[in-house]
Amino acid sequence: MLGFLLARQAGLDDPLRLRRAESTRRVLGLELNKDRDVERIHGSGVNTLDIEPVEARYMLSGGSDGVIVLYDLENSSRQPYYTCKAVCSVGRSHPDVHKYSVETVQWYPHDTGMFTSSSFDKTLKVWDTNTLQTADIFNFEETVYSHHMSPVATKHCLVAVGTRGPKVQLCDLKSGSCSHILQGHRQEILAVSWSPRCEYVLATASADSRVKLWDVRRASGCLITLDQHNGKKSQAVESANTAHNGKVNGLCFTSDGLHLLTVGTDNRMRLWNSSNGENTLVNYGKVNNDSRKGLKFTVSCGCSSEFVFVPYGSTIAVYTIYSGEQITMLKGHYKSVDCCVFHSNFQPTTKSQINPAFEDAWSSSDEEG
Amino acid sequence: MSRKRQRLVPDAFGLKRRRERGQAEADPLRGESVTRSLRPGSARAAVAELVQLFPRGLFEDALPPIALRSQVYSLVPDRTVADRQLKELQEQGEIRVIQLGFDLDAHGIIFTEDYRTRVLKACDGRPYAGAVQKFLALVLPACGDLSFQQDQMTQTFGFRDPEITQLVNAGVLTVRDAGSWWLAVPGAGRFIKYFVKGRQAVLGMVRKAKYRELLLSELLGRRAPATVRLGLTYHVHDLIGAQLVDCVSTTSGTLLRLPET
Repeated sequence: MLGFLLARQAGLDDPLRLRRAESTRRVLGLELNKDRDVERIHGSGVNTLDIEPVEARYMLSGGSDGVIVLYDLENSSRQPYYTCKAVCSVGRSHPDVHKYSVETVQWYPHDTGMFTSSSFDKTLKVWDTNTLQTADIFNFEETVYSHHMSPVATKHCLVAVGTRGPKVQLCDLKSGSCSHILQGHRQEILAVSWSPRCEYVLATASADSRVKLWDVRRASGCLITLDQHNGKKSQAVESANTAHNGKVNGLCFTSDGLHLLTVGTDNRMRLWNSSNGENTLVNYGKVNNDSRKGLKFTVSCGCSSEFVFVPYGSTIAVYTIYSGEQITMLKGHYKSVDCCVFHSNFQPTTKSQINPAFEDAWSSSDEEG
Repeated sequence: MSRKRQRLVPDAFGLKRRRERGQAEADPLRGESVTRSLRPGSARAAVAELVQLFPRGLFEDALPPIALRSQVYSLVPDRTVADRQLKELQEQGEIRVIQLGFDLDAHGIIFTEDYRTRVLKACDGRPYAGAVQKFLALVLPACGDLSFQQDQMTQTFGFRDPEITQLVNAGVLTVRDAGSWWLAVPGAGRFIKYFVKGRQAVLGMVRKAKYRELLLSELLGRRAPATVRLGLTYHVHDLIGAQLVDCVSTTSGTLLRLPET
């Protein structure tokens, strides 16, 4: 470590190298943080978490009771023992609160003035953070399982919404209505995710075992349907291609957007090349997954070999992405874990559990507050 | 707990040399090595070793020796490497991967030569012999996949619908979806039945043990129950590779323990 610092000081090494080595060291040293805690507001399970991308200071959480809470993760007191306080919340008494469980929350990718939330009550609500009022509401015919807004989009403000129907809806925030529909899946869409590399590429995962990659500018259907057996691409009919042998629950692009990770109820996680849809055949072993709706997992960014954190029962399993090796299992929650997010500056991963609900901060053992 | 974490950490800085792991103690599973000439730990050596375990006499030599992908995982330590090597062998045409019907994840691995000879012998003198021979000559060398699509069969290879029906009757193709078929082994039904029953029986042996764990040497030394027709070693390789039991190394050898869930 000192060698790295001296090399950085003398200019022999790139500054990025020290940062990556330290990030990797912290991820490998992750354990439950005894000093940091998150205030407990939710009465029932926490379904989704999101940390804002600008400063990584504020965190949103959505619960099964429809409550949305905003936390400040910054430690401005001088004490090492610190509870992250909730800044504000959309509680059950709020006039615009969701009627049923909130499935996904996401900050507006460019600033913290706005966030979106979607719920089982068939709506997607756009909130103004400062006044905590809904700026817009999109209504759908079926329950909404997941939504995502592109983190790199500059030319469009589309939110992709996956519902219980087989069509993926794209809602435009500027105009306030659904701009178009992507058809191709046969059952409910459990997860959607935009590519962090190209602002028009969207990946959707469905209960019919298929994962499709779309270019939203193209009118005629999906780009690729991922095939786990890597069959010949010359086949004109792609209807038999399946990405998993069960429902596909979760999707996550790696931070450079070159690869896509998918998990399915066949207890497998697969890594795909996102440009040609090829299964890279990295084998992570059995990744237990019995969630009937989406599973939210996350990847690290900024480490020398990237890691993926997957909720596995009541623990979090950590794997290296490109070699498939299981590094460790993070034990600390009492009941099943639903989702986790990675905080890129401090390398804790906060996660949540189903019942009773609280969030934990995990950090490496010798991090100073 | 903290000692374990620090073992992972120095690798990030690349400072400490990892201490050389001592020779793994002789393992009854890995001890017998018929194929010392091939590189140990490669998928090809593993498949060759596993087909020796297959009981040919049980099926009167009508079935080619089938190994399972999960068995290969138990012999090759890194699963990703095993998958990639099997994919290479598949592309070179040395092995065929077959979808076994009972579990979408279980793939059977057969050497292409064995498959070809057995299928030809099985369809000898039957009305569908012509279609099967045409299939083996045209399609098998050209397409190494597990499944075939309708337009691929009709346009690329020139099969007509009655011929495809004959192939399904012969047992070479199994219906997967409207217009697509899995490659299959004729007569594999008996093998699958024995395999599923045997797997349950061996798992049951571990389950009934005290604390639901058994030393591997003790398990292999026990008398196999009547439902296990394929051999205890065959099933144990499959259970370890499919992660249906956890393998714990102890001072008395390898211990098989059922996972907690």
